[in-house]
Amino acid sequence: MKRVIQHPAPETTGRKYWRSLEELAESPAFQAELEREFPQGAAEFHGDDLSRRNFLRLMGASMALAGVGFAGCRRPEAYITPYRKSPEWAIPGRSLFYTTAMPRRKGAMPLMATTYDGRPTKIEGNPGLPGSRTATDAIAQASILDLYDPDRAKDVMAQGKPSTLEAFWKQLSDLRTQFAANKGAGLAILANVDSSPTRSRLKAELRAQFPAAIWAEYDPILAASSLESAQELLLGQGVTQAPLYDKAKVILSLDCDFLGFFDGTTDSIKKFADGRRVAKPGDGMNRLYAVENRYTLTGGMADHRLRLPASQIPAFTALLAKELEKTGLNLGLNGAADAIAKVSAKDDFKTKWIAELAQDLIRHKGSALVVAGSNQPVAVHVLTAAINSALDSYGTTISTVSAPTREAKSIQDLAAAIEAKSVQTLFVLGGNPVYDAPAELNWASLQKSVPQVIRSSYYRDESSTGAQWFVPTAHYLESWGDGLTPEGAYVCIQPTILPLFAGVSQLQILAALLGQPVAFGPQAVQETFRQISKNNSELAWNEFVHDGVLTGSSAKSLGAKPAIDRARTAISGSFASLGDKSLELVLVPSTSVEDGQFANNGWLQELPDTITKNTWGNAALVSPKTAKELGIESHVNKGIHYGKMVALTVNKRQITVPVLVAPGHADNSISLSLGYGRTQAGRAGNGVGFNAYPIRTSEAPYVMTGVSLKPTGEETDFALTQEHGAMEGRAIVREATSEAWAANPGFAKEQGIDGHQPYIEAVNPYTGQTEKTLPSIYKHPLMTGLNQWGMTIDLNTCVGCNACMVACQSENNIPVVGREQVQHNREMHWIRIDRYFAGPEGTPDENAVENPEMVMQPMACQQCENAPCETVCPVNATVHSEEGLNVMTYNRCIGTRYCANNCPYKVRRFNFFDYNKRPIHRTQVGLGPLKVESERPLYFGPLATRPEDEVELIKMQKNPNVTVRMRGVMEKCTYCVQRLEGAKIEQLARIKGSENHRLPDGVVKTACQQVCPAEAITFGNINDANSAVAKAKNDPRNYQVLAYIGTVPRTSYLARIRNPNPKMPDAISMGLISTPAGHEGEHGHESHDHTPHAADPHSAPAEGATSHGGSGH
Amino acid sequence: MAQIFPRWTNIIPLKIAGALILIALAISCGIWYYFTPKYTRVGYQPTQPVPFSHALHVNQLGMDCRHCHSFVEKSSHANVPHTQTCINCHSQVKKDSPKLNAVWASWNSGRAIPWIKIHQAPDYVYFDHSAHVNRGISCVHCHGQINEMEVVYHAKPLSMSFCLDCHRAPQEFIRPVDQVYNLDWKVQSREEQLKMGRELVEQWKVNPPVTCEGCHR
Repeated sequence: MKRVIQHPAPETTGRKYWRSLEELAESPAFQAELEREFPQGAAEFHGDDLSRRNFLRLMGASMALAGVGFAGCRRPEAYITPYRKSPEWAIPGRSLFYTTAMPRRKGAMPLMATTYDGRPTKIEGNPGLPGSRTATDAIAQASILDLYDPDRAKDVMAQGKPSTLEAFWKQLSDLRTQFAANKGAGLAILANVDSSPTRSRLKAELRAQFPAAIWAEYDPILAASSLESAQELLLGQGVTQAPLYDKAKVILSLDCDFLGFFDGTTDSIKKFADGRRVAKPGDGMNRLYAVENRYTLTGGMADHRLRLPASQIPAFTALLAKELEKTGLNLGLNGAADAIAKVSAKDDFKTKWIAELAQDLIRHKGSALVVAGSNQPVAVHVLTAAINSALDSYGTTISTVSAPTREAKSIQDLAAAIEAKSVQTLFVLGGNPVYDAPAELNWASLQKSVPQVIRSSYYRDESSTGAQWFVPTAHYLESWGDGLTPEGAYVCIQPTILPLFAGVSQLQILAALLGQPVAFGPQAVQETFRQISKNNSELAWNEFVHDGVLTGSSAKSLGAKPAIDRARTAISGSFASLGDKSLELVLVPSTSVEDGQFANNGWLQELPDTITKNTWGNAALVSPKTAKELGIESHVNKGIHYGKMVALTVNKRQITVPVLVAPGHADNSISLSLGYGRTQAGRAGNGVGFNAYPIRTSEAPYVMTGVSLKPTGEETDFALTQEHGAMEGRAIVREATSEAWAANPGFAKEQGIDGHQPYIEAVNPYTGQTEKTLPSIYKHPLMTGLNQWGMTIDLNTCVGCNACMVACQSENNIPVVGREQVQHNREMHWIRIDRYFAGPEGTPDENAVENPEMVMQPMACQQCENAPCETVCPVNATVHSEEGLNVMTYNRCIGTRYCANNCPYKVRRFNFFDYNKRPIHRTQVGLGPLKVESERPLYFGPLATRPEDEVELIKMQKNPNVTVRMRGVMEKCTYCVQRLEGAKIEQLARIKGSENHRLPDGVVKTACQQVCPAEAITFGNINDANSAVAKAKNDPRNYQVLAYIGTVPRTSYLARIRNPNPKMPDAISMGLISTPAGHEGEHGHESHDHTPHAADPHSAPAEGATSHGGSGH
Repeated sequence: MAQIFPRWTNIIPLKIAGALILIALAISCGIWYYFTPKYTRVGYQPTQPVPFSHALHVNQLGMDCRHCHSFVEKSSHANVPHTQTCINCHSQVKKDSPKLNAVWASWNSGRAIPWIKIHQAPDYVYFDHSAHVNRGISCVHCHGQINEMEVVYHAKPLSMSFCLDCHRAPQEFIRPVDQVYNLDWKVQSREEQLKMGRELVEQWKVNPPVTCEGCHR
């Protein structure tokens, strides 16, 4: 019988936090789910194709077949196989770090790869570079998994038959002779977009040798962007602008997700966080306004957010420009915006919103910044530039830098040439045009019509079918290359391992076409380096390879100003008017698999969407109101979300996708992520989600109007993690406005029922001193360790980008479990990002559902000093260390799962299956000739095995310092104990026979801390008063989650501070005060003034009205 | 009525019970002894591909451990020497000895010499050589008198209790850092060891981990 603890009703904070519409509505199903001992499905046996009895029978049979011999009793002989000759720097058992870079579409991301015994295992940012430093994004973190992907292309193929690299080089040299005769007429190359200067150099040489050849580049994401052409118009060729988010006091984002989508750098998060970081009340922080159609991370961080269909952004921008002109600012538009500034329905709210926004921008002239989404039309960019220019942003919050120009034909030009039958040989290097080229080109049949197609790519994907020659592309970690960062710095791509299979780089293929040496090596890059650095010395080259970057090569600020006069005519076009009610469809890159090139990466597929928390698939997002109007609401059954399938038709092109209701989405707008529905991605990516490219055309690659939507009557299930680990609406996330914070600096410690704690005098377990603390039923030993580890996470700067989740997965050998297991709450992420929607307390009205605010909270093991998990473990597998860690000993764990059950933070993860050893995707199962195809091979235990070579390949990625857990073992965040112990041992080796054990602050970083672009995570020794973490713990915003239950977590959070503009029409709901009502009356110690925002009609402190707080388990 | 069972049968159940207890005891004791590393591992002495003698190299020639196990102070792993290390000397000394066949074969082919692993910690144990040798724990504590071995064998049980014996009482084993590789170094008596040990532990603030995370990660 489950004991029901009646938690005291929490004090009203005037705010309500919720994760899903079901939770907000307090639906009976959700309540039932909360009351369960384990989440629905997590603790039950699944597998329709296999009953429990059958399973046991099969298990028995396989045991019998395996033989009951005693062969297993002897310890197998193991070998030590030392090198023949010691490679330089290699120390067996220690990691080596190599700088390298990951080519991304807008530039290379500078990285540092960790290698063990010659195999790369982990990716970090290159700490030697200014800017984002050790930070990377989730995709760069996950790219290490691609290197060891068993589905990657391994063989050179000629006419569909295995061939050799030698034959391929021979073929290229034949082609070279053939095309030398006619100067390359009939030769065409379609490549992905890449910043590599070496590729540009080879491209130029190619152009000189084969002037008639076509070089085209295509990237599905950049194809939608009009930013480049707008900037050329405004600033001139070869000049681009870089927003300096750290310098801006007021930022307006017009459909620009600068915190959520980055290509090559996470600098925008870092800069934004720098402008947002506060230590005490009164510290200046920036204010962010966001106008967008769907919730993005940028919208989630915004102080004011306006939901607006993406097609109405031009009208909004023009109206804002007009409003600014009305207040006397000279934008130099000469009325050019008038035609666009259309309003179809008078809307007082939006009018006031724009007016007050304009006032705020003018007040912050010189420190204001307006950024527009790159996919918005040129008119928006010109208007934005005019606004920025009038606000004196150029030179203060925007710097202009030179950028290399991309000299390439478009895919449309190439398509025309193919149609004219003037292409005989087509190279398709990288990219995947058959999957992602504009729909109207019908690229698949175009490619087929070319007599000879030579394809090089990482996977044998959609575009590789039918190619006469196929050659695998090498991973960036196994080839030489170079690139430019988005900031313009010249970086080196250094291989960390020889190609695992027959992979070659694009540079090698181009070199072969030019008749240059093709051997694996840095010669081509070295040549470019000499040209760029104008330095021929070997030392300079070695420094470049070692540092990963050419010092001083970052682009210099040019101080250019936009030429509005020249660009004014571009402010034209017919755009939807503000308040238009017609339906639009917006196609955006996925926050996990981007444009689809990472579709076979299990880490990214399982990484929840940053906002919807949807894994293994995509969905068309609509607002609750639109869903209701169209009758396409999603629903939940047994903890699994289902969405209605709809047929979306645009210009006679149709796709069928499921609909997911997304709070905070703009009405009459549908957004759908690209990158899913791959057919030849590999076993992880095939058939996952729905492909949106078939309706995406060159004409409307981003926003489509004139969409018709028709439900098909079918449904499909999602694997959402948004309700997993729900914590029943206690004051888990805490926030206040900057004003409220100034009025009550200690608000974070008083929210919820923390303000009513009966503090007692007790001995602090690690300092040994008597302190005011919570009563505890535990009496635990003094924690005597020199280091007392602790962590703080700043909710004010955490944007929720998910990078920490993948970094943790990579560092700690966390397995991928697959879509079906995620649906059963069995995902293994040690750190998750909880996304809370927030709104005024009370009965949810329409506004609360439609337009909630958002708070992100990373949640991992809190390392409680009084850990509830430890007391229930029957075998002492989880105990406390003297350094304050709640340690988990896998080899002791017998899998009772009592600890997970008793964990109030729901951060323990159980290996229900051998996720590392068994296949998780559709495969053949059975013994010998008796094999069947199964969707759920996990349920077949030892009957489903992975081929040995595949296991060997996957093994190579594993961090050798972390145990790979098997079935039946509990696991959780360890504060990266392997790094802590490693750092301590290194210190011991350094000090030898002396006593200076103490680790300098900051010498050891957890994986999540290291990767965090916002630097929101602080970790270190809380015993050292000078450590960064000890200082962070003294921040007035510091609070512990569920402090009142007395677990004394070592991880604490710094409450979020919002910085709303009190004059804005939506400032009321933003400006809620979080001080409990009636607080002053009960406790005499409260003497601060409470800010006037408490007068919010929604949040009127409804004492006693909080009936939902009394239940629990 | 005649008795079917004679009187002595009365104590049969008792005897059976007694026998069962004895058997159970014997099995327990058997497992207790024979299934522990003390029995299963100690004495393991496989034939190595090269008949390398530590006794010859260390005791007779006076070579330091670190000449071959060069990274023991820097890495968790005390590396077995690369083939090159052997060749460095043996290209001059005894270069035609048939005992070196496997070494030359490796040198010429580039393939590793497959040394058979003797001291093997389980996969979930993260032992670190550098943490020990740099802090006054000598090779002999875990590997035995390796300098006297013609053929290396497993000398100590290396069980968890073996580790904990020292982690709980480092003063019993610790020695000055400069004597770590002096495998014949001995203290006169236990009292002397304890006296010096306590001093060193105090001086260096030695605090070996006894909680799980020290070895299991």
